[in-house]
Amino acid sequence: MGVPIFLNTLEESGLSTWIRETESPFGFYFILLFHNIGLALAVGASILIGLRLLGVAPDLPLAPLKKFFAILWTGAWISAASGLFLLIAYPTKALTNPVFYIKLALIGTGVWIMLRIEKLVFDDTSAGQEARLATGKPLAARAFVVWIAAVTAGRLLAYTFKYLVYGRPG
Amino acid sequence: MEFQINFAHLHLLLNHIPVIGTIIALGLFLISFLGKNDGLRRSSLIIFAGVALLTIPTFVSGFGAQANIMGRPGVSDVLMARHEGAAMVSFWFMEITGALAVAGLWQVYRSSRPARWNVTAILLLSVVTVALMARSGNTGGDIRHPEVWDGKEAPVAEGTIGSILHVFEPTPDKFIHAMVFSKWETAFLMDLHFFGLALIVGTVGALDLRILGFAKQLPIAPLHKFVPWALLGLGINVTTGMLVLIGMPVYYTFDAALWLKILALMLLGLNAAALYLTGTFSGIEQVKAGEDATISAKLLAGSSLCLWFAVIILGRYIQSFQETIK
Repeated sequence: MGVPIFLNTLEESGLSTWIRETESPFGFYFILLFHNIGLALAVGASILIGLRLLGVAPDLPLAPLKKFFAILWTGAWISAASGLFLLIAYPTKALTNPVFYIKLALIGTGVWIMLRIEKLVFDDTSAGQEARLATGKPLAARAFVVWIAAVTAGRLLAYTFKYLVYGRPG
Repeated sequence: MEFQINFAHLHLLLNHIPVIGTIIALGLFLISFLGKNDGLRRSSLIIFAGVALLTIPTFVSGFGAQANIMGRPGVSDVLMARHEGAAMVSFWFMEITGALAVAGLWQVYRSSRPARWNVTAILLLSVVTVALMARSGNTGGDIRHPEVWDGKEAPVAEGTIGSILHVFEPTPDKFIHAMVFSKWETAFLMDLHFFGLALIVGTVGALDLRILGFAKQLPIAPLHKFVPWALLGLGINVTTGMLVLIGMPVYYTFDAALWLKILALMLLGLNAAALYLTGTFSGIEQVKAGEDATISAKLLAGSSLCLWFAVIILGRYIQSFQETIK
C-alpha cells in the first residue's frame, strides 16, 4: 500500500516545514523538550501515586496525594499538545510506523487506568482507606507496566520508522 | 554559539580529586573503626559520595584532553590508551563505591549507623578503588611526564601489579564499540534513562513541591521515604548516561549542553549537601500536615526543582549543541 498523499500535503504546509527546518530555538527541539517535560511530569506523578498504592510510605495520608493528579494531567496535556506539533512536523514518519499506533493505544490505556485510580481510590471516599488501597494496588501495578511499555514504544519511534519524510526512506 | 574549553587543563585540574579524595575517605573510614567513631564514618561516606560525583566531569574531561593532545610530539597514543583503559575501570569502581556510600548515609539517617553489609562492601570496594585510582593517576602521569620514564621510549612494560590490573582493563576502542554495537542497545539505555528521570521527578520533585507549600496536608517525614527511589533513578541515569557517552565520547565531550548539564548535577550535589549537612532538613523533618517549612528549606527546595529542570532541558538540547566547544 502506498503512502497517502495527504501526508505530503501536510508536510509541505508552512507550519510543518517551519518546525522541521527553522533555526529558531523554538523549533523542533523546543517542542520535543516540552514533550519530554510533560511526559516526565505525567509519569513522575504516576510513579509517586503508584508507589504509595503499592505500599511505599504507608504512613503518608492518601487524600492530599490527590493534588498530584493535577500535575499528572497538566503533564499529559503538555505532552499531547506538543506531540501534536511533532506529528505535524513529521506526519509520514509517525503515521506509517505501526509502533506509533501501539504507543497511542498504550497511552490511552495508561490514562484510563490513572482515571480509574483517581475515581476509585481518591474521589470515592465512601469506602474505607484499606478497601480503596486494595482496589488501587493492582491498578497501580498495571499502570506501571503500561507506562513502561508506552514510553518504550515512544523511544522506539526514533529507531523503527520506515520514512523520515514523504518519499524519503529512513 | 561556540565555547572555548581547554580540556587538558580542566582534566589536570580535576584528576587529582578522585585519587586524593578516595585516599582521604578511605583513611577516615579505616580510622572510624578505632573507637567506633560514627561521626567520622559518616564524614568518610560523605567524601566518597562527593568524590564519586566529581569523578564524572574528571572522566569526561579525559576524552577532551585526549583529543586536545593526540598527535603532539612526545605524546604516546599507547600510553593514552593504557590510561583510558585504567580510567574506565577505576571510574565504575568509584561510582559503585559512591553509590554504596549514599546507601550507607541513608541507613545512617534511618537507623543512626550503616548496615554491616554496607560497611563491608564499602571497605572492600574502596580499597580496590584506591588502588585503581592510583593506577589511573600513574598511567595518566606517564603520558606527559617523560622525566619519569626509565628509558627513551614510552614505558609500555608493566610491573607485577600493573600487569595483573592490565588484564582487567578494557581496550578503549573495543569498549567504545561494545557500547554502540547496536542501535537497540542505545534505545534501551535511553529508555532506562527516561525512567530514571521520571523516578527523580516523581519523588524528589514531590518532596520539593511539598516543602515549597504544595499539597500542604502531606507531612514531610513520610514523603521523604520516597528518596531511595530517587537515588535509584540517579543510579540508573548515571550508569545509562555514562555508558552512552562512552559509546560516543567525541559527540558528547565537545557539547556545551552536556557540560552545563554536568555543572547542574554538581550544583545539585551541593544543594543536597546544604539541605542535609546544615541541619536544614532535620529542622523541617517533623513538619506536619498544614504546617509551613522554613524559608531556608524552601530556598533549597526551589533551587533543587530549578536545577532538575535545567538537567532535563540541557539533556534535551545535547543533540543540537554538538561541536559547540572548540
